[in-house]
Amino acid sequence: MNGAQAVVAALAREGVETIFGYPGGAIMPLYDALFEHPVRHVLVRHEAAAAFAASGYARTSGRVGVCCATSGPGATNLVTGLLDAMMDSVPVVAITGQVRSELMGTDGFQEADVCAITQPITKRNMIVANANDIARTIAEAFALARRGRPGPVLIDIPNDVLKAAVKDVTDPPVKPFAREGAGPRASDAAVSDAVARIRSARRPVAIIGGGVRAGSVDLYRMFTAMLGLPHAATINALGAAAPGDPSYLGMLGMHGLKAANKAVQRADLIVALGMRFDDRVTGKPDRFAREATVIHADIDATEFNKIIGADVSLHGDLRDTLRALIDELAQGHVPRFDDWAAEARLLGGPLPSDRVDGKVLSATDVLDRVFAALPPDAIVTTDVGQHQMWSAQRARPADPRKYATSAGLGAMGFGFPAAIGAQFAHPATPVFAVVGDGGFQMCLPELATLRRYNVPVKIVLIDNQNLGMVRQWQELFFSERYSATNLADNPDFAAIARAYGIDAYVLDSPAGADDVIARFVNSRGPALLHCACHPTENVWPMIPAGMTVDDLMEARA
Amino acid sequence: MTCDLTLRDVRSVARIVNLAHRFNCRITHVQAAVGELETSARFAFDGPPVALTRLRAQIDRIIAYESVA
Repeated sequence: MNGAQAVVAALAREGVETIFGYPGGAIMPLYDALFEHPVRHVLVRHEAAAAFAASGYARTSGRVGVCCATSGPGATNLVTGLLDAMMDSVPVVAITGQVRSELMGTDGFQEADVCAITQPITKRNMIVANANDIARTIAEAFALARRGRPGPVLIDIPNDVLKAAVKDVTDPPVKPFAREGAGPRASDAAVSDAVARIRSARRPVAIIGGGVRAGSVDLYRMFTAMLGLPHAATINALGAAAPGDPSYLGMLGMHGLKAANKAVQRADLIVALGMRFDDRVTGKPDRFAREATVIHADIDATEFNKIIGADVSLHGDLRDTLRALIDELAQGHVPRFDDWAAEARLLGGPLPSDRVDGKVLSATDVLDRVFAALPPDAIVTTDVGQHQMWSAQRARPADPRKYATSAGLGAMGFGFPAAIGAQFAHPATPVFAVVGDGGFQMCLPELATLRRYNVPVKIVLIDNQNLGMVRQWQELFFSERYSATNLADNPDFAAIARAYGIDAYVLDSPAGADDVIARFVNSRGPALLHCACHPTENVWPMIPAGMTVDDLMEARA
Repeated sequence: MTCDLTLRDVRSVARIVNLAHRFNCRITHVQAAVGELETSARFAFDGPPVALTRLRAQIDRIIAYESVA
């Protein structure tokens, strides 16, 4: 067995079935080991897509996503995807080839110090200098990617190490500190304090974040239901609320629903669960929920008091924390907040929109129809921009793992390859990628990946011939100076899809839209729905950056 | 702000220096002694309280991740 074979054997021991990557010189021994091996390698057409696909796989399955690339440019092309995984706490392991050990530091061909480059954007990275360390290193990498607050880990392996002889290690000696063990747990005193504050609150609101994806959905629904607690979600927690839950107020934040934002602003207690008070959620921090005390639960202690001060910090796994809160509540008076929840719902109203006359296709109208037509078990990924916010306002996923978007990083080019990853994780589940014309053009070559593996991802392309979100900000905040946002010279996307052998449906007017959407949704195999939409429709409501719900805009001035 | 740290990965010294620079904190002292398994490091920083608080939180995160592997 050589080092590369040890890598593949270690991946198999971790239960890895699929990895996403792109070959090159330094990593060729690994590709040789993958040849005809049960661990399936999916050839993407750009390494960035490998990282995003691994993220989509991990986000929708809860398993570790794996990607690989060669040294130098292959490794650096993974960088954006790794940062995206870091920002959104997604467990991803990246394996990169490195130039031969004796060439490291000589500016060798395709040499890059990828460990230095990725140090700030991974939980950890490691260079494997000895092939006999491969099995242990990979076991540690998976443990670290999964454990606590999940995130990306990179393993860099020089070409000669991949080729070196190694003894067959079936039970790698993982250091004790890398083994799964008891994590932090919120103290009994903190839980009691939190429950006392909930019992005495008059207008509490829960905010659920991406931490709910770590197996906490059932307990979160139980917690909010036992109290009739009004609650809102960050974009990473869409799907946390039980379907039809009347106390759920929708997404919070810059383009969140009015009821959610206003209820938070009126709250006297915020119960923040597995969320990190991103600036897109809080706006101006010192004016966020001014009347509220804050209970903050998170697995990452560094999140406490980072943006918003916490009156009670519950440090631990969210599942354990929710169970403790529920148990403590159940031992005494369980307050009900139904009246406040009803009042909070009335703070909202229908989503404002810019829809124009009936002859031009409206992106929000299309998305309303698309989401109404999706199967209930569908997985949706989105790219970044206006369509991302319109989708987040409208989507009602059955579970947070049914919805994946680049939230913290906002990386354009994410949505389509993430859908490919999601589809490999869930071969029998319908997967839809909602993308814009800007982001889609960052990953067009992945149409070849769809075709090669006949991945039945359905792409909903919202084409408004603009980098729409930037255009919106230019309209509102830069005196309508539309610098570098016009994409009126877009290509014929349907023709491109067909050139790759992908079925394409074109929607360019509201007439017959439902019929076209139904045929697209129910089609077999991969397909593109090209929606030629009005170029200047904006996302409403909007809280301008650094401001509060008091400054909420619902239409052009 | 002074931090006495035990680091499993000596590279974290460089990471902490870079973070201080990023947060516009002045590094007034760095001392590191590298052992077989751990590195003992002492840092001293000056800067606005908000920046120092943020730096301390990031250092805590580095140490938390090191404690796993």
